[in-house]
Amino acid sequence: MKVSSAVLRARGLVKQHGHGQGRVRAVDEVDLEVPEGQTLAVMGPSGCGKSTLLHLLGGLERPSAGEVWLAGRRVDTLSERALARLRRRSVGFVFQAFHLMEELSAAENVELPALLAGFSRREARRRAGFLLEQVGLTGRARHLPSQLSGGQRQRVAIARALANEPLVILADEPTGNLDSTATLDVLRIFEELRAAGQTLVMVTHDERVAATADRLISMRDGMFVDDTRLAGDATGWLGGLIGLEG
Amino acid sequence: MGRVVLIFRLVLADVRRHRAQAAMLLLAVTAATATVALGMSLGGASDALYEQTRAATAGPDVVVYAPEMGTPVAPVLNELTRAPGVVGHNGPFRLVFATLTSRGFASLVVVHGAAEKPGAVDRPLVTSGHWVRPGGAVLERGFATALGARVGDRVTISGRTYPVVGIAVTAANSIFPWSSGIGPYGGPSDGGGLVWLTHSDVKALASRDLPLAMAVDLKLSDPAAARAFLDAHRDPSIRVNFATAQFIAEQDSVMLRDSQPILIIGGWLLSFLAVTGVAALAAGRTAEQTRRAGLLKAVGATPGLIAAVLLTEYLVLALLADALGLTVARLVEPAVASPTASRIGNVVGPSGGVIVAATALAVAVAVLSSLRPTLLALRTATVDALTVTAHRPRHRPLLTALSALLPTPLLLGLRLTARRPGRAVLHGCSTAGALITIDALLTFHVQPRWGYAQHRGGWGAGLSGLSNLRDDQNGKLLLSITVMAIVLALVNAITITWSTAMEARANMAVARTLGATPGQITAGLSVAQVLPALPGAVAGVFLGIGLYLTVGRATTLPILSMAGAAISVVLVTAALTAVPARVAARRPVAQALSAEAA
Repeated sequence: MKVSSAVLRARGLVKQHGHGQGRVRAVDEVDLEVPEGQTLAVMGPSGCGKSTLLHLLGGLERPSAGEVWLAGRRVDTLSERALARLRRRSVGFVFQAFHLMEELSAAENVELPALLAGFSRREARRRAGFLLEQVGLTGRARHLPSQLSGGQRQRVAIARALANEPLVILADEPTGNLDSTATLDVLRIFEELRAAGQTLVMVTHDERVAATADRLISMRDGMFVDDTRLAGDATGWLGGLIGLEG
Repeated sequence: MGRVVLIFRLVLADVRRHRAQAAMLLLAVTAATATVALGMSLGGASDALYEQTRAATAGPDVVVYAPEMGTPVAPVLNELTRAPGVVGHNGPFRLVFATLTSRGFASLVVVHGAAEKPGAVDRPLVTSGHWVRPGGAVLERGFATALGARVGDRVTISGRTYPVVGIAVTAANSIFPWSSGIGPYGGPSDGGGLVWLTHSDVKALASRDLPLAMAVDLKLSDPAAARAFLDAHRDPSIRVNFATAQFIAEQDSVMLRDSQPILIIGGWLLSFLAVTGVAALAAGRTAEQTRRAGLLKAVGATPGLIAAVLLTEYLVLALLADALGLTVARLVEPAVASPTASRIGNVVGPSGGVIVAATALAVAVAVLSSLRPTLLALRTATVDALTVTAHRPRHRPLLTALSALLPTPLLLGLRLTARRPGRAVLHGCSTAGALITIDALLTFHVQPRWGYAQHRGGWGAGLSGLSNLRDDQNGKLLLSITVMAIVLALVNAITITWSTAMEARANMAVARTLGATPGQITAGLSVAQVLPALPGAVAGVFLGIGLYLTVGRATTLPILSMAGAAISVVLVTAALTAVPARVAARRPVAQALSAEAA
């Protein structure tokens, strides 16, 4: 595992919702550095601001205050267009609800980011085939999302997130909708990514999943309350230890 | 009773929540029913006005004209007044074919010699001023209106100037510009205005070497036998023209001969646009309506009650629009039915048959537009209905593969179009409907024109002829229908864009997380509207050409203008849909994704 300089940084990050007395700080003065190759898990109860933090880091929402830097470039001041271009090449998202396009097959979903990034159809198709093989879904390439199980859909979503070899993958409750077998499949893929040096930030409320990360940050009321380095052996002996079925 | 109240409360609540959509349905159906009702009401309108004018002016059953070309014709006409079956007459009186100038306008006129005290037959009704007196002219009202002349104005008739002392209507002549009844020297008439002068003034005018004729108005004991009277009294030795009351009424109806098909075909086109727009609207609300049906089912509503709730909203709005449309038709009909002011009386407004037809049209628009989403909502199981977000689009591998070869906006646009092909067809139909009306207007304006009551050699400097009222009326009707069609098509385009954007918002949000820029999303949504608009525009041009060649008797087709209109419509669609597309594309991604996941 390679751990080097911070690929993702946040300084004094604040996100407020509402006005006046109804104002809520979903993210409150958060500082964060994620070194390249690190797998970071952010934990906390529902509504503590985890997902908002992930959205801020990925440029899906703009902070009320503070800075976000990705690969040495400040991103919170970028235009929507520049942010989109940055996401295209540098960020991959994985969502709890998968957010696959229902009318596209698994392969078509995975090749979409490459097409948006300007790769040829042949190259996009080649990458999609490779990535679906990586996540163990070669035989499901032509299936529609509705024909796949939850775990398979999430693996398609992960393959899609990897399509443009992003600097960082941001995963929002990636196992939230999955049973334990499917969760283990996903964590195995994350482990392979970690071994390959992929930076990964995942938000979860599942301690068993968080335990597979290199580092665990606990959040409460929009603030970090704990930041712990973990052993980080994902689904091998740790998977067994934490109760995931192999 | 409680059930009916419940239905109306639910309908009212839904209308309040979707006021813009309710307004759109009202607008579309009102335009369609008003136009169709107006077009259907015109059938018989000119007859009704003629009969009322005839009753008010003691109109003759037959008018006999004879040109004066050397042979005395008065004895022949006098003999007709004594013919069997004739119970009253006016004349014979002299006609002079002259020219009239006033207020910078010039027109051919036929001047009738009139007694200062009208007799029992043909008593023109003076609508302003008074009847003829020596040195004063009375203008026929339709002619006066076209001329813009009023009592007190001065008109010059073939060099002599007369004050206008009155304005009147008569049933002895057709409406302006067909008032002359006979042309100079017994030839065909180029149309013209009608002026009355005293017999002595006409005699003085006749001395100026102008074409002359004599005429007599006859009242028959059996007006229905007018045709038999004509056949019995044709005299091959002398040139005599007969005009029966029926002929005059038929000549009147020529004014509306094109108005009626314009309105009826236009009305059907507007109905078609209403169906496409409302169907797109209903399709866009399918998910919401299905969920609503699910909620109602969950609390024990029967399928009948649910169907009533879902259909009643459209039906009530359509019936309200129908009432509005019929009212508009009633208010507009007098102006459309009598563009010349040559007749008096009232048109009766939409008859029972017209009301039934317009109402059936409104109900058809409502049912055709909302039946499918209603059936879908009824057939969906309760649990599925409660969780449904939108009807799942079909997988279209060929289109998906094809779009992968295209730049991002086209890729997104084609895939958005493929998601809802039915809506794309509706959009294409809407574009075609608008193009048909635009091309009708363009075709109308390039047709060769000739004015009525015009001097063949032109009027000379400083004078202009009167406009062609029939063409003016047809042009105004076509323009009105075209404007309504364009407005409906634009509203449809915006509605379809917005419903497409709302339905695809989750997919578009995902595309943005994958790196699509807001500009690309906007362009994609716009392209999704332009793609169906393109074939729609082409189809509109060809359908329009087919329509004009079969119905419109067009002699010239402005192909280049039609092509220009088609291109313009597509460009306007692109520009217009960019606005709602941009608004939709700027919605926060996280918000859209959260809404989808919820």
